Amino acid sequence: MFKKVLIANRGEIALRIIQACRELKVETVAVHSTADADSLHVTYADEAICIGPPPSSESYLNVSSIIAAAEITGADAVHPGYGFLAESAAFAEVLEECNLTWIGPTPASIRMMGDKAKARQTAADAGVPVLPGSREPLADVQEGEKVAAEVGYPIMLKAAAGGGGRGMRIVQDREALESQFATASEEAVKSFGDGSVYLERYLVEPRHIEFQIVADQFGKIIHLGERDCSIQRRHQKLVEESPSPALTPLLREQMGDAAIKLAAAAGYVNAGTVEFLLDHDGRFYFMEMNTRIQVEHPVTEMVTGLDLVKLQLHMAAGDRLTVPSGFNARGHAIECRINAEDPERFTPSPGAITTFHPPGGPGIRVDTHAYEDYVIPPYYDSLLAKLVAFGQDRDEAIARMQRALGFFVIEGVRTSVPLHQRIMQDARFRAGNVSTRFMERLLEGDPSETSKPVEA
Amino acid sequence: MLTFEQIKELIELVCERNLQGVEIERAGFRVRIDGRTLATNSSSTVGATAATAVQVSPAPPAAGQSVPVEELAVAAEAPEEESVAMDGQHLLRSPIVGTFYTSPSPDADPYVKVGDRVKQGQVLCIVEAMKLMNEIESDEDGMIEKVFPKNAQPVEYGEPLFAVRPD
Repeated sequence: MFKKVLIANRGEIALRIIQACRELKVETVAVHSTADADSLHVTYADEAICIGPPPSSESYLNVSSIIAAAEITGADAVHPGYGFLAESAAFAEVLEECNLTWIGPTPASIRMMGDKAKARQTAADAGVPVLPGSREPLADVQEGEKVAAEVGYPIMLKAAAGGGGRGMRIVQDREALESQFATASEEAVKSFGDGSVYLERYLVEPRHIEFQIVADQFGKIIHLGERDCSIQRRHQKLVEESPSPALTPLLREQMGDAAIKLAAAAGYVNAGTVEFLLDHDGRFYFMEMNTRIQVEHPVTEMVTGLDLVKLQLHMAAGDRLTVPSGFNARGHAIECRINAEDPERFTPSPGAITTFHPPGGPGIRVDTHAYEDYVIPPYYDSLLAKLVAFGQDRDEAIARMQRALGFFVIEGVRTSVPLHQRIMQDARFRAGNVSTRFMERLLEGDPSETSKPVEA
Repeated sequence: MLTFEQIKELIELVCERNLQGVEIERAGFRVRIDGRTLATNSSSTVGATAATAVQVSPAPPAAGQSVPVEELAVAAEAPEEESVAMDGQHLLRSPIVGTFYTSPSPDADPYVKVGDRVKQGQVLCIVEAMKLMNEIESDEDGMIEKVFPKNAQPVEYGEPLFAVRPD
């Protein structure tokens, strides 16, 4: 095991890593910008080095500062957390050149999965289902019909030169394709100067299901089950839970096997997550792989009883993985990301926290770097706390989450607590009936889908 | 019972070492000193002050007796914080993380010493990081009044290296 680990991160995840190190009797070094001098991770680390001014580019992303800090403190390993340099293959390589151990996968794996086209190809080669479609622009509507027949309707016609949600048309069936194709091409010429169009299977109401992977340096790769992260706003996750209400044991086995196959094809070591889209017909497709520990890892920890960050340290230190593969889960866990932002406008709300009283009691875990009188700096992300509720079943987890949200007192800044209370009360959520379009509908107050919210 | 001199020494100990407090109990008395240091902003020119509460009380009396407790509040000046500028001084701070060296090489003379006059752009020291020797230049014309780190001491970003009195 390492003697001293430098945490190249900040906020709640830096604190999380310090906690794992403390339990393993590993010394910790915190690095911080001047804006984070009073941060909790700085307070609790054994040593702290200021590495730069507030902007991330000059501090948390400043490779030479971080390495210099590792040098002067004599750290022997670096944990990158998530975000910042966590998926920088270049940083991992520089560390290795400086004889510092990188707590994560190999630079080659990071590169492979970071290139979305390459990742997709690796998945396809490994026999993992990928979203079908034509990668090249379609020559004409006839080719479109042929590919669409293979791919299966509904499909999405996309302008090859398009983007930002423009130049996309959903086509429900073969009859609509001919006219839609012509319109899509015309629009593409007008908007982008290029009429090329390609197509992709359109998933109507997908769920976002991700699988936790852990691998040692001896070739053993396991999965620890799924997290359902369908509740997102603009691709930012808000609520995650495990197990997913949508997975049957068979589906779990198939997706888990696919995740392991992909990790093996990538020569993966340490912790990672394979993300899938699950269609309403039970078919799943590889989306991408995250080669790092994730924000929502506590959800898996609660239902498996494992400590993923400690596992990361063990894997990086060359220990063998003794945990059996598979989802040997107990109970149900839900996580709500409490952000320092306006719960309706979603604008960030930095500043001084005047009152801070997190909930406790049975089945409640709070991962946070916040405290009373802490001043949230405006330079970084708005994640303030992760509130995790664990119960014997989903209903109990929801009841505990509602209770905990009601007992969570944060004053001085606006937070997303009220938004989470709305989600927990929503009948669709409570029925486990969500997709990635859930937040959109909730925020629009979509009348066709709104059921009477259940009393808390 | 402690003498005034002894209590004064205890207060200085609390301040110097930034202790949270000291409690001493002997036959007949108990002395407790609470150290509370105001947070110092190292870029300010104010030295750290410590407000300490000194509680001197007789030890728990024998059964039946009651003894009045005296409480003294004492404000003490903590020793001047090492890396804080005095009036009129300008602090030159490290722009990088690394190891501070006073000389260009181990056997050479230091670039500057206290009392030297320096010009803007003049090299004052080296901060070494990842085997790269970074020359740190003065940003003012003036006189070196203090050198904060020792030779070969690790320094962090923003750490004061020199106190310069500008011309």
